[in-house]
Amino acid sequence: MEILSGLMQGFAVALEPVNLFWCFAGVLLGTVVGILPGLGPPATIAMLLPLTFQMNPASAMIMLAGIYYGAKYGGSTTSILMNVPGESASVVTCLDGYQMARKGRAGPALGIAAIASFIAGTVGVLGLMLVAPPLAKFALSFSSPEYFALMSLGLAMVVLLAGRSMAKALLAALVGLWIATMGTDLFSSTSRFAFGRMELLSGIDFVVVAIGVFALGEVLSNMEEREEAKPLPVPKGLRILLPTLQDMKDCRFAFANGSIVGFLVGVLPGAGSTIASFLSYGIEKAVSRRRDQFGNGVVEGVAAPEGANNSETGGALVPLLTLGIPGSGTTAILLAALVLWGFKPGPLFIPEHPALFWGLVASMYIGNVMLLVLNLPLVPLFAQVLRLPVYVLYPLILGVSIVGVYTVSGSMFDLALLIVFGLLGYLMRKLDYPSAPLILGLVLGAGMERALRQSLMMSEGSLSILVSRPISAVLLSLAVLILLIPLFSTVNAWRLQAVAQDDA
Amino acid sequence: MKVQLQVIVLAAAALAVSPGAALAQGFKPTRPVELVVHTGPGGGSDVLARAIALMVEKEKLLPVRMQVVNKSGGQAAVAAAYLAEKKGDQNTIGLFTGVWLTTPLISAEAKVTLRDLTPVARLVLEPAVIAVKADSPHKTLAEFIEAAKKNPGQLKQSGGSSTSRDNVVRQLLQKSTGARWSFISFPGGGERIAALLGGHVNIMVIEPEEAGEHIRAGNMRVLAQVSETRLPKYPNVPTLKEAGFDVPVVPQVRGVVAPPGIPRENVEFWQDFFARLTRTAAWRKYIEENQFEDGYQNAADVTKFYDEFTDRMREILKDAGVKTVR
Repeated sequence: MEILSGLMQGFAVALEPVNLFWCFAGVLLGTVVGILPGLGPPATIAMLLPLTFQMNPASAMIMLAGIYYGAKYGGSTTSILMNVPGESASVVTCLDGYQMARKGRAGPALGIAAIASFIAGTVGVLGLMLVAPPLAKFALSFSSPEYFALMSLGLAMVVLLAGRSMAKALLAALVGLWIATMGTDLFSSTSRFAFGRMELLSGIDFVVVAIGVFALGEVLSNMEEREEAKPLPVPKGLRILLPTLQDMKDCRFAFANGSIVGFLVGVLPGAGSTIASFLSYGIEKAVSRRRDQFGNGVVEGVAAPEGANNSETGGALVPLLTLGIPGSGTTAILLAALVLWGFKPGPLFIPEHPALFWGLVASMYIGNVMLLVLNLPLVPLFAQVLRLPVYVLYPLILGVSIVGVYTVSGSMFDLALLIVFGLLGYLMRKLDYPSAPLILGLVLGAGMERALRQSLMMSEGSLSILVSRPISAVLLSLAVLILLIPLFSTVNAWRLQAVAQDDA
Repeated sequence: MKVQLQVIVLAAAALAVSPGAALAQGFKPTRPVELVVHTGPGGGSDVLARAIALMVEKEKLLPVRMQVVNKSGGQAAVAAAYLAEKKGDQNTIGLFTGVWLTTPLISAEAKVTLRDLTPVARLVLEPAVIAVKADSPHKTLAEFIEAAKKNPGQLKQSGGSSTSRDNVVRQLLQKSTGARWSFISFPGGGERIAALLGGHVNIMVIEPEEAGEHIRAGNMRVLAQVSETRLPKYPNVPTLKEAGFDVPVVPQVRGVVAPPGIPRENVEFWQDFFARLTRTAAWRKYIEENQFEDGYQNAADVTKFYDEFTDRMREILKDAGVKTVR
């Protein structure tokens, strides 16, 4: 009942015309920011912060949050159309989204991304509304050993991302882990693999590697195959540009998976939406009946990660609003915004400012509907981009990649890195190395190493801390199970072979 | 033709020298001022920079706009190098913190030290408090130190990198008392607090404003404060010295630098500008709300501060087993 009356109060705030306007402004801006690679929500919110001082805090919070979750909707667009991840959380969307586009199914891919985002985004808000305080306690019980186990689970997914050769996939993952070690070590303050470059003292930005390996690598290898240099097919007619009923059926589990995994990972201050998207993709593939088709453009391979990165938003607001603990760059700047407006985010924030909290929750329901209505009609429009002839499309992709990387850091050094990783991506394609394991290793590497070292410091050097804590033991067992999947399929293949031979 | 052009350019440059000095007397920024910070959006320096930019706008302290430029990366080395490249640029300044002094000490790759840039002013000192979880058995810092002595290496502190102020406070306390406890680094401030509140570590050094809400909610207790005098919002918490630990107070410091090779008039302009800024009501309110200490120092004093800070850091890092390169 308390929740109901809170929600009523919230809608009273969120439905005020001025707040509706700011909510719309936020989600619209968020979508645009999401579509543009490089320019992310933290930078946008930081730039807009001075403007919000003229607004009342509820409107400002509603708008800034709109940018945050709106960007997650837009992030998939360039991933699907150009293989250029719009946000770090949309990297994994490239795997199946871009393949769908190559098969003339860009429309359904974009459409399912919007629908999954809407469903999971709404579930994320529901979670924020219903279980925020108890879940925040759960998040606190999660510490380094659990994070290590969670990331091991993520890294175990590498066996699912492998193409024909497991050895090549593992090698690519190792390179990813190696890149993740570059920079200044947090514990000993020594620089590792900096090659005498001060730019490398803080490591390599993951977005630079992802854009280089995926987008640049793709363009380079496509340019080589001259006869393939024709536009990607885009079917005419509106109906085939949207997901079919069959697509929706295929995604039933992906919607639930993305919603739940995204929210739970979001609640943990040490994980984040990129990890959430990889985990839900891995889970989707692990339980799928058509596992072998992942990476060739299956619709649930888009729905799961796109859902996960949206419900992550609701999850990430849980520790921020209930404990004052930010888990990512965006929530850190939202926290700074709250402080600058004169609030004190912490355990007492929600009880002392119910109107603000419930107004935000209500506005997120409204904002998600706005985003769906805004994004679905854009699908056919964006799909037209692929009609461009390649001599326009490829330079366009290159331009988008370069601008995207430059806006992240404003550094020419990163542009040089982009070229290096573009060449690496090209070589990996030529030699048939899968690029997804490299990205996975890079995403998880730094956090995993840190969590392991923190755990060992907590236990004074005993590895038993990893298995003596229940959550971490469960997660590690799951990781072992996933590692065994290829073995099962091999055994299964042998069995089928044997059966076939018996029959013959 | 080409030679002629060169002559004209040289003549123009020669002419520019003398009136330049005269003009700088009444130096006024001619284009939007760049305020360079070494963190991405949302980081400590970034938030302070944006607050300053906002005050400049509201109080009309400059004839032009001030825009924040994020040059993150390289543990402040990228931002320092960016300022060094802007040699002679009169419309660019940067916000420094202790990490600008520490990074060149430990990383050979970070070649620009604060001594290579033009000092302008020191602005704030950020005090800290030492906190434990509310249900912790340690009621005072002395009790914690005793417990650490009895079980060497078993108690844990969550904090930032090994060169952070958190670890410096620990090193100083360990050295003066002979107690030993371990230090676990977490990259984000949120994770450090979560580790303490979740009961995974025993103690942490935290900013007073951050701790305030957790104390009010009954989740945290403060044992001592890392400042020379008691903070107004912590009237009943002893300072380190009052708690019986006579160790130097290491503040988190924030100040302003300018590119190398700028005229003296330009330095004076910025010095005057920040002196005016720190006298505004908006600045006072900001300092008070964040529980910072007014640490204003002019350019000459800041240089002395650099040396003191660097020397002390070098010694502390040596004790902590961190290799220094300069």
